[in-house]
Amino acid sequence: MKTLLKKGFNQLDSLFSKVFTPAWNPMYQLGALAFFYFWVVAVTGVYLFIFFETSISGAYSSIEQITVGQWYLGGVMRSFHRYASAAMGITVTLHLLREFALDRYSGPRWFSWVSGIPLLWLLFASAIGGYWLVWDQQAQYIAVLTAEWFDWLPIMVDPMASNFLNESTLSDRFFSLLVFLHIGIPLALLLGMFIHIKRVTAARSNPAKGLAAGTLLALLAISLWQPALSQAPANLDVAVTKVGLDWIFLNPYPLINSWGPGQTWALLVGLSTLLTVLPWLPSRRPKQTPVAMVYPPDCNGCGWCLADCPYEAISMKEHDYKPGHKQSVVDPDLCVSCGICAGACPSSSPFRHVDELTTGISIPGLHIKELLSLTETKLRELDVGVPRIMLYGCDHGSVVEGMQSNNVATISMPCSALVPPAFVDYVLRQDLAEGVLISGCCEGDCYHRLGNTWMDQRFAMERMPMLRTRVPRERVRLRWLGAQGTRELGRELIDFQQQLAENSADVDLLQLQEVGND
Amino acid sequence: MTDVARYLGQGLFYALFFLPIVYLTHQPQHQHLPEGMAELKIAVRHAGATIGECTDVQAGVYTPLPGNKQRPQICPRERSPLQLELLMDGKPLYLATAFPSGLHDDGVASIYRRFTVPTGRHKLQLRMNDDVTVEGYPWVLEEDVDLQPAQVMVASFKDGFRLQ
Repeated sequence: MKTLLKKGFNQLDSLFSKVFTPAWNPMYQLGALAFFYFWVVAVTGVYLFIFFETSISGAYSSIEQITVGQWYLGGVMRSFHRYASAAMGITVTLHLLREFALDRYSGPRWFSWVSGIPLLWLLFASAIGGYWLVWDQQAQYIAVLTAEWFDWLPIMVDPMASNFLNESTLSDRFFSLLVFLHIGIPLALLLGMFIHIKRVTAARSNPAKGLAAGTLLALLAISLWQPALSQAPANLDVAVTKVGLDWIFLNPYPLINSWGPGQTWALLVGLSTLLTVLPWLPSRRPKQTPVAMVYPPDCNGCGWCLADCPYEAISMKEHDYKPGHKQSVVDPDLCVSCGICAGACPSSSPFRHVDELTTGISIPGLHIKELLSLTETKLRELDVGVPRIMLYGCDHGSVVEGMQSNNVATISMPCSALVPPAFVDYVLRQDLAEGVLISGCCEGDCYHRLGNTWMDQRFAMERMPMLRTRVPRERVRLRWLGAQGTRELGRELIDFQQQLAENSADVDLLQLQEVGND
Repeated sequence: MTDVARYLGQGLFYALFFLPIVYLTHQPQHQHLPEGMAELKIAVRHAGATIGECTDVQAGVYTPLPGNKQRPQICPRERSPLQLELLMDGKPLYLATAFPSGLHDDGVASIYRRFTVPTGRHKLQLRMNDDVTVEGYPWVLEEDVDLQPAQVMVASFKDGFRLQ
């Protein structure tokens, strides 16, 4: 199932990247979109609250007045409120499925996964509370069934459903309580959302401006076209027969009626429990490799690894034996062995005057010394004469292993950001290759969150360690095409070889002309 | 892909995302109560009789309190559970036993249940026993009712059953 989901999401990612561009791709910012919808719901909710009357007769009539009396503002606000909350429900579901399909829920990521489960309950509770406030037929339906559902729990002394026997048992205070809940639960949801992203470095809680603008326009269009309306007013003396339901949030309700409250509790609590323990269930996930190790003699306490770690697994402490200096420390519970820290370490430079390359921090699975040795060995085996290319790839992006040839050397690693920019400089200056191509996950959707972003910035000289100015940029390419872009990477490789061959021919011609002139 | 094609494509995707949302927020309609049916609700909240007799405090029994502060009797706190039977047209529809709330079983006992019943004329019989020392049902209600489609009829209890 996961494989199918993964394939589906990869296809969608690719399609959306073409239509929206990677920067606006909604699939890469589902969490940020959920935040955005939350704020839309919050702002419109404040406006609606100003006009809402908390009484049996006032609740329905005040909402009708907002919807009909000021359709141009209040009505639009109500529609934004409803449709944005529904969109948030869908977005959050997609977010959960995508993180599951792409294996982003276990290891150090368990915290975000587990803290997200109560948010689902809070989101549903917020939405149900909102529908309740309208006090129409749908509200009556969910009021009675919610009360019966909670009455099943042994914690209730007096049945909550006794409040909804008929019109005479309902009181105005009930609406005051509902308003309190409809403000309190979303506030708890917001707090939960903050906790959900607390452990995430540079968490994205705002979508791209273009995507946000497009979303608002779409919301406005559907709000004008199909404004959110109430159904017939509630009347507890008459049973609800046929009711229009919001199937996004109220889908468990028909189950409460047909299965009974106990089975519905069992299903929902069981499902939530299964989701909660999912990170620890056995699966075919690749085994966690040993975590990053700090080598104090080569750590100068610069903090670049701390700045680049996407999992906040690195902190600084007093240096073991360099007084007044700092030293990196790796938290083994948070480290995923992506190696981005090794690529950020200034000591990971093959130009250093040492007998054997050492570095301040590296992952045991692929030490920077081994990466250098592998690079040199593989490149020395290539045929001379045709442009040689060093192709670095990541284990989660385009598959590079199959592209190995007489003039292309390939190395795949946990994350392409493990390659220090100095390696590229070294390969070209030592004349080991004519070009270096670095590939990886899709732009804006790195498996290790920030790997390709950091690489772009390092190569654009916006982030340390930078690719030095002396490196000819036409001999270096970064291509973020993802797992589904392997074929495209193959074409990119051929194109790069042709370009390098043309450049080389131009240089030969120039050298010949210079010799001729002499 | 040109910018125009891209924006058109985005519009299409926004439509594909939001149109199902617009539809699913109120459709398809759900048939909650079938045609020709009504609802009958039973809601009873009642404290059963206490179990056991009060006993007089016997003179001469040692107590640290002065005589005027002593209770003349010691009464048990535990209450009887409620036993309720609902019959419709002579057939049992519901049989329940509700136990008193509270750590010492001294609180009220509550029963709530909603039934979907066919419309038309029916004979309703409600019986309840709230005292374990009494045989049978001290509280009884028998009434012929004519239920209309989607009508909500509530049977509650306060010093006796009543139908609303």
